Amino acid sequence: MPKFSRVAIANRGEVAVRIIKACEELGLETVLLHSEADIHSRAFRMATHKVCIGPAATAESYLNIEANIQGAIAMGAQAVHPGFGFLSENADFAQRCEQAGLIFIGPSHQSIRTLGDKVSCKALAKKAGLPLVPGYEGADQTLQTLLKEVEVIGLPVIVKAAAGGGGRGMKLIRQMSEAAEQIESAQREAKSAFGSEIVFLEKYLDRAKHIEFQIFGDSTGKVMHLFDRECSVQRRHQKIIEEATSPSLTEDLRRKMGEVAVTLGTLGKYKGAGTVEFLLQDGQFYLLEVNTRLQVEHPVTEEVLGVDLVKMQILTAQDKFVWNDNEIRIPRGHSIECRIYAENSYMGGVPSTGLLGTVHWPEGPRRRYEFGFDKGDTITSHYDPMIAKAIVWDESRPRAIEKMIRVLKDSTVFGVHTNIPYLIEILSHPEFIDGTMTTRFIEKNFADGLKSKHVEADRKKLSQEVYKKFIAGGAGSGVTASAATTSENSPWLSHWRGI
Amino acid sequence: MKIIDNMQVEKVGQTLWIKSGSETWSYDIADLSAEGQRRKKSNTATPDMILAPMPGKITKVFVKEGDSVAVGQALLVMEAMKMEYTLKSDLATTVETVSAKVNDQVQVGAVLVKLVKVESK
Repeated sequence: MPKFSRVAIANRGEVAVRIIKACEELGLETVLLHSEADIHSRAFRMATHKVCIGPAATAESYLNIEANIQGAIAMGAQAVHPGFGFLSENADFAQRCEQAGLIFIGPSHQSIRTLGDKVSCKALAKKAGLPLVPGYEGADQTLQTLLKEVEVIGLPVIVKAAAGGGGRGMKLIRQMSEAAEQIESAQREAKSAFGSEIVFLEKYLDRAKHIEFQIFGDSTGKVMHLFDRECSVQRRHQKIIEEATSPSLTEDLRRKMGEVAVTLGTLGKYKGAGTVEFLLQDGQFYLLEVNTRLQVEHPVTEEVLGVDLVKMQILTAQDKFVWNDNEIRIPRGHSIECRIYAENSYMGGVPSTGLLGTVHWPEGPRRRYEFGFDKGDTITSHYDPMIAKAIVWDESRPRAIEKMIRVLKDSTVFGVHTNIPYLIEILSHPEFIDGTMTTRFIEKNFADGLKSKHVEADRKKLSQEVYKKFIAGGAGSGVTASAATTSENSPWLSHWRGI
Repeated sequence: MKIIDNMQVEKVGQTLWIKSGSETWSYDIADLSAEGQRRKKSNTATPDMILAPMPGKITKVFVKEGDSVAVGQALLVMEAMKMEYTLKSDLATTVETVSAKVNDQVQVGAVLVKLVKVESK
């Protein structure tokens, strides 16, 4: 008998779709716990059952513990998958699930408290003699104390949300004059995104690489690692491109860092999927933090190792996943993920919202797309701007880069602007190609965003010509197969379905 | 979606989207029709008008009417998609009016702060 047959999903967008697919393959029903704003989404259309848990504002829906618990129980779910972001690293939520008789698909709330809280995680690592970045993680959160600690650590210093992740609630202090403003801004973002304004300080390593190890604790408590990912391409501390495995690790470093990751996971009695993040600078590695959840970039690990981490999570929660000592997993080839954000690459990356038009991801071997919205859905300003992820695998890193560039060039997203042009530029940059990029790569090379190569007047003139032909009707050399289904109606009427 | 001269073309809401090769761009329909163009005034840079660059929520206002501001000084902070954006002054001048307050939901292009006009460098 399985321990549960119906799984509630306390999340939205592409990760909700990812979890629904894993549940479907395992023969489990799903309950989507969604906000009022997300009824036009793929997850909503795919879930077996759905229940609205509150209005668009995250504090009242996706971050509202009681609303999620009540929704899950009311719909007869026996387990909850939190995805990533929102409540995924919230120990109180995991504990409330347990109290309410729901199985939380993830580590125990005790593990989340120990490892997920950056302060206690560092204390544990310190005790075990694991390498750490110098910083301040004290309980005294007054501005005066924080400012004093910034001086003690020495500039540059980074301010981070203790409960955070994903780049939110993170600010860099380069000069004392901006310290107060940056600390307060980080506190506000932390409060808004994670419900807690506690921050900590860390020395900013200014030419480091971001390397992380996927760890996984099975039903018996045995923790293993599933190798590394590199996520050095970050903007405002938000990852943009991730790959597995890192092009920067020697076998010796890989072995040592993997051991540290497994040690920390074992000490924290870790169960399920987690990630141990490191910074690597001048051949030295420093433990950064543990993310006690699935990562956005988990697909690249899945691609090089041939595993399904979401299914492994679910099976572990059912006490059905146990590491096999005889099974040797070795990464093969190279995988890259690009996060596709709804933003305008040519306007400094400002968010772009609106009704989605045609969305087309080009098919092909070892190309994978994780996305949460289709044509006719609306991208709103309430949530994260990540609308999709493109993942490719190929025999070698150079081939994976080539493949990703092709994929991005052939992808169509109408209705909102995306960072696709930006991603193509990054993938074509010599520093990315030779794999030497650090976490400052974007700041150094793409600080001002992109400049359009086109003369605005020429493009506008072309667009006016195109528009004339467009309204003239049967213009051009014909319609593609996918468009044929809509050509019977007015071609744009279909965008309005479901509104 | 239509294919016109090898380009993918689609009208989404009141915007025309075009993809040619690997490049995607869009224009408001109003900008493409001859009539709309006459109505639209020429767009010149107006550093004295601080406009919302995106739809979102005002989370902090640092200035009030009559304050003097320096180049690069933060005027207000807005939040969209869970990220904060600080809007700064491009002019050394004084604040004429502040029309945004904390917690306002604003649309893209909304006037948030008006500065006293001076020649920008």
